[in-house]
Amino acid sequence: MRKGWFVLLAIPAGFLALVFYYPLGLILRTGLSEGGRLTLAPLQEILADSYYLHLIVFTIEQAALSTLASLAIGLPGAYLLTRYTFPGKETIRSLTVVPFVLPAITVALGFILFFGNSGHLNRFLMSIFHLARPPVRLLYSLRGIVLAHAFYNAPIVTRMVNAVWEGLDPAIDEASISLGAGRLRRFLGITLPRLAPALLSSAALVFIFTFLSFPIVLSLGGARYATIEVEIYTLTRTLLDYRLGSALILVETFLSLGFTYLYLRTEGRFASTTRGDREIPTQPLLRGPLTIGKWLLLVYSFLAAIFFLGPIVSILADSLRAGGGWTFSNYCELLSLSYSPFLGSSPLHTVLNSFLIAGISTLIALPVGTAVAWFAVRSRLPGRRIIESILMAPLAVSSVAIGFAVLRGLSGSPLHLGGTLLAIALAHGILTYPFVVRSLRPVLEGLDVGLIEAARSLGASRVRAFFEVEFPLIRRGLLVAAVFAIALSMGEMSATIMLMRPGLSTIPVAVYGLLSARQFGAASAMAVVLIAVTAFSFLAIDLLGGREGKGGLRW
Amino acid sequence: MKLSVVEIEKTFGTISAVDKVSFELERREFLSLLGPSGCGKTTILRLIAGFERPDAGQILLDGRKLLPVPPEKRQIGFVFQNYALFPHMTVARNIAYGVRFDRRIDTQRRVEELLDLVDLRGFERRRPAELSSGQSQRVALARALAPKPELLLLDEPLSALDAKLRESLRSEIRRIQQEIRLSAIYVTHDQEEALALSDRIGVINEGRIEQIGTPKAIYHHPETTFVASFIGHTNRLEGTVIGYVDECMQVKVGRELLLVADSGAASGTRVTLFIKEEDLHLDGSGKNTLIAQVKRIEYRGDATVIALVSPLGSLRARIAGTKEDLPGIGGRVTVGFEEKDVILIADS
Repeated sequence: MRKGWFVLLAIPAGFLALVFYYPLGLILRTGLSEGGRLTLAPLQEILADSYYLHLIVFTIEQAALSTLASLAIGLPGAYLLTRYTFPGKETIRSLTVVPFVLPAITVALGFILFFGNSGHLNRFLMSIFHLARPPVRLLYSLRGIVLAHAFYNAPIVTRMVNAVWEGLDPAIDEASISLGAGRLRRFLGITLPRLAPALLSSAALVFIFTFLSFPIVLSLGGARYATIEVEIYTLTRTLLDYRLGSALILVETFLSLGFTYLYLRTEGRFASTTRGDREIPTQPLLRGPLTIGKWLLLVYSFLAAIFFLGPIVSILADSLRAGGGWTFSNYCELLSLSYSPFLGSSPLHTVLNSFLIAGISTLIALPVGTAVAWFAVRSRLPGRRIIESILMAPLAVSSVAIGFAVLRGLSGSPLHLGGTLLAIALAHGILTYPFVVRSLRPVLEGLDVGLIEAARSLGASRVRAFFEVEFPLIRRGLLVAAVFAIALSMGEMSATIMLMRPGLSTIPVAVYGLLSARQFGAASAMAVVLIAVTAFSFLAIDLLGGREGKGGLRW
Repeated sequence: MKLSVVEIEKTFGTISAVDKVSFELERREFLSLLGPSGCGKTTILRLIAGFERPDAGQILLDGRKLLPVPPEKRQIGFVFQNYALFPHMTVARNIAYGVRFDRRIDTQRRVEELLDLVDLRGFERRRPAELSSGQSQRVALARALAPKPELLLLDEPLSALDAKLRESLRSEIRRIQQEIRLSAIYVTHDQEEALALSDRIGVINEGRIEQIGTPKAIYHHPETTFVASFIGHTNRLEGTVIGYVDECMQVKVGRELLLVADSGAASGTRVTLFIKEEDLHLDGSGKNTLIAQVKRIEYRGDATVIALVSPLGSLRARIAGTKEDLPGIGGRVTVGFEEKDVILIADS
């Protein structure tokens, strides 16, 4: 049995050692040495420099604000989905998974097109209120970054909190009613404590995501606002200061590891919530007397619709516009094989590269992720928690850092993979397999261990029991995980931009290049490809039962 | 087939789940392991099946060491509490799972035989989700029996079923076990089930076997207070041996002196006495008599249970059927019981 685990762990361990731990070791060496000596000098240099201290404080500040904004926008949604019924509720609930697979760069593009000073929202408001100047000034400010992060993360809050809220046993509320508790006391004393783990957990998760956010800050922050992640990019790709870049990566990783630890601790408590036999009672939103509560929720729904749909509709609309008229020319351009200066490659090559990388990285992430998930759920080895942390460590390292590490690690001999498509695919494998683990884990956990024991008592070896009993039962989970991995790889920009060499481009990098060059039509058409992939993966996840048990998809 | 379990131990973290348990199972014997939940009885079963490894001890099957054998090679059938039917396979494929690759067995015929045995002909193509819980457990039984194991382990197989179904399946399990000459170990927390089914019962408490013996021995001669309580004896008295009168022991309980059959305990020994509900006679017959007051009367259909307040404390008497001439609540009765019906357990 133990020998079996070692054989199984060889797959992820080998892959991680080569593409994650070895490169990370190189960064550690660069960031902690000077003239061949081991020293803390680069770290001290960063921590003594007020520029970097400001940078670190700003990164934490924007993450905290983004988390608050995400909670403010996400929680009413969770309440609405839990306590009310309305047409299309299930669709809306399913849609909350979309931002997670929607590439951040498309969110940035959508924000520029919709909330920009000459964006659709301002032009609309100026025309109906006859204003001379744009009333909404959001972009290239902290507010813009925070709102874009909220766009991205509020649905995660909604989804996580709703899943727990709906599962709360109504009998416990009824017990408190029978004991004479009023509405407020019930909410504060009975409901809130049971929701608290979900609230904390989602907040912590959003905080980590936004702490490490790269594309949104890069494209919406302008020159004034940079986070650690953006600074690492600037240091290593523009200034070629590998020493300080590496040291900054160490600082960032140290912080994010701390946050991740806190998150995992709250998540552990999350699982202990009792599920009731009955569902929590709901009331129709649109029928019956219109109370103040309902009225507020309707206003919320209206604003949320504008907030979430505006940017996406803007991208779809702009992709069809060129030279002041409606046209498909932006899409025709996508199929062009001729060189584009904004891409450093041809549009068609760019699109093909993205698909190719997504395919290869998914083929890597699936077996690695499956092995890790299986180990995490089934193993009873002593020290398995430590092994598991080692296997999940890439979650705590930012995408930019992973991109840089892979660049350093794979460029030298004997591999000479630097800047190749394979290097990007390997980096994507590192970035996506933890999500394969996370979508497979609940599926494996939900599987009755008795089934495997039954198979074994009937003469099946452990391997046969896996292929004949477990595998058929997690096949849907695997498909969901694969779709997830493909979508994440297709939208990945941070590590890609670190690894890219001239002449090699992917769709998200192209979108960034085009929006930097103010080529909004072409950028939108490219982004629509990403949105299509997102929509497809969303549908697939939804149809394949990502909805199962509502909380089925965990992050 | 003969199974020997020798001093097996298993701890989970700091909790000792199985503590030096030894017993033997003879060919075609039906042994129940009876105990409260968490007493370690299921763990014993899982150790025999090979799903867990013991920390110490030995398990022998016909003198052959079982521990180095992986579970799939032990040829021991296992029936799970929650059935554990493969949800993605039909009933027929579930049953065939253990015999598909056995050339000596004609899979198709074996499946039919077993469906006949558990009376589920015509269910071949159903999926587990389309079965009732009783049907599911019968399929689970058939599946475990398909590879013709000589030993079958059953882990509370009936506990998820309602009372009526439990009783009918219980006799079916016993019938099948005798029909195909199988040895079986049956884990349960239901003493009635254990008494009805078993050749022998092992009563388990906190990871140890308290007593192992025939249902009669367990019921009439429990050796520890735990066994006596768990098997359902409710009239429990604490007392001290004070001497001997006419080949009987005298035990002082509170202010009362009771006559108890001689057990060889020395004077001054502190003892616990149990008197079975059905051994209390309301007509006052027996060597011991006392006046008691009726507190409550519960009709059970086939029996009547009378709760009494006596100088010995609360007592419960059970009489067959209903008796018309019972005094009402608050009424006085003379309660009697024979000295030989008193179960005496010396405190250790």
